[in-house]
Amino acid sequence: MLKQLFILLVFPGFLFLLTSGLLAEFIDRRLYARLQNRQGPPWFQPLADFIKLLGKEDIVPQEADTTVFRLMPLVALSATVAAFFYIPLWGTEAMFSFNGDIIVVLYLLMLPTLCFFLGGWYSRSVFSSIGAVRVLTQLFAYEVPLFICILASSLLANTWSLSGMAAFYSKHPGYWLFNLIGFGIAFISLLGKLEKVPFDIPEAETEIVAGSFTEYSGRLLAFFRLTIDIELIVGTSLLAAVFLPFGFGVGPYIGFVIYILKVLLLVALVSLSRTIFARLRIDQMINLCWKYLAPLAFLQVLLNLIAKGVMVK
Amino acid sequence: MGKLTHIVNWARIKSPWVLHFNTGACNACDIEIIAALTPRYDLERFGVQLKGTPRHADILLCSGPVTRQVECRLKMIYEQMPEPKFVVAVGTCACSGGVFDGCYNVKSGINAAIPVSAYIPGCPASPKAIIDGVVKLLQSLEAEEEKKEK
Repeated sequence: MLKQLFILLVFPGFLFLLTSGLLAEFIDRRLYARLQNRQGPPWFQPLADFIKLLGKEDIVPQEADTTVFRLMPLVALSATVAAFFYIPLWGTEAMFSFNGDIIVVLYLLMLPTLCFFLGGWYSRSVFSSIGAVRVLTQLFAYEVPLFICILASSLLANTWSLSGMAAFYSKHPGYWLFNLIGFGIAFISLLGKLEKVPFDIPEAETEIVAGSFTEYSGRLLAFFRLTIDIELIVGTSLLAAVFLPFGFGVGPYIGFVIYILKVLLLVALVSLSRTIFARLRIDQMINLCWKYLAPLAFLQVLLNLIAKGVMVK
Repeated sequence: MGKLTHIVNWARIKSPWVLHFNTGACNACDIEIIAALTPRYDLERFGVQLKGTPRHADILLCSGPVTRQVECRLKMIYEQMPEPKFVVAVGTCACSGGVFDGCYNVKSGINAAIPVSAYIPGCPASPKAIIDGVVKLLQSLEAEEEKKEK
């Protein structure tokens, strides 16, 4: 009981996610600044932002639905933290796993996006309504290629659990090379999920102020920002577990270092794409996802079916 | 409780998010404010970020004299900001009304409409002066906090 509470709250639960999420935001912002040839924020910047927002007044607009408005940041945060427990990190076993946990993780990672939508929609302000609609439109574009890619790689492993997949790919080294197309597509979809440039269409501060977060302030905004930071860690951990499944069988310490390196690599790729791309329009984003990413994802499924027929007996 | 307020105050000083509002300026001060936020001066070193919405902002940067048309909008934006909030008047017109003081359509400086915490004179105020003004405002907050502790 005590051990489980420790897992949930301290390591690798909430406290670990809080620190690693804030650190990931710092690395992202610092790298972004260095790539733009400037100094960038000090290491404590995300923590200072978080504490400051916690200490500020939180205003609920008169028009807004108070319950939904106040509840959404907490639901988003807890869904993201819950998804983390089913992802294998530095061993092939996740903290909790059962056959079918891929569906649960994908569902839990979709919840924050839905919360952004509901929070924005029930703010009843023009900017946040437009932002909320864009959040949902974007969701329908990137979610399908992401699901197909992750399911394609589970097809090869012939299992519905992430831990089973990690076990399969560490038993058959080199098989993850089949999923390289899927890795690219899933990474692009992850940028959409995290609302990072070039897919920061729902936030787009130069067009619609701050999108669905326009009316949020103080503590509620702090929880939303923390959710995005933790989503960065959870999303990159998921991609690392599914598409970069090596270094699982080397013991907890070296495995932990390899896990951190994988996450760092993906975070660096996120901030690199943030620097070199400009924002797409929402119709361009939908075109990209449905015309190119979804057919490529189906190609990945085909590839894995053939590979399964030929190689795995 | 003393320790907790100390930490919150530290965070407040380290992470000032600004909102920029033109209350009727000739656009010169606005250009200088934008220049101060470019990578050249890199205000993110001090944790300064430009925000689009008053709900996220801690500091309201106002430029220009308050015209009669903008007065109620300025007050509305000020009231939309969550506490604690600070107002910085950028440029001579924002400080006192400048050459526009006494015009039929102008209501003097920013402090005629809302309380102001820091004044940055200049026509236009240079980016260095703006950064200096914001840093001085943060330092005065720090000093105030130290005084409270004693």
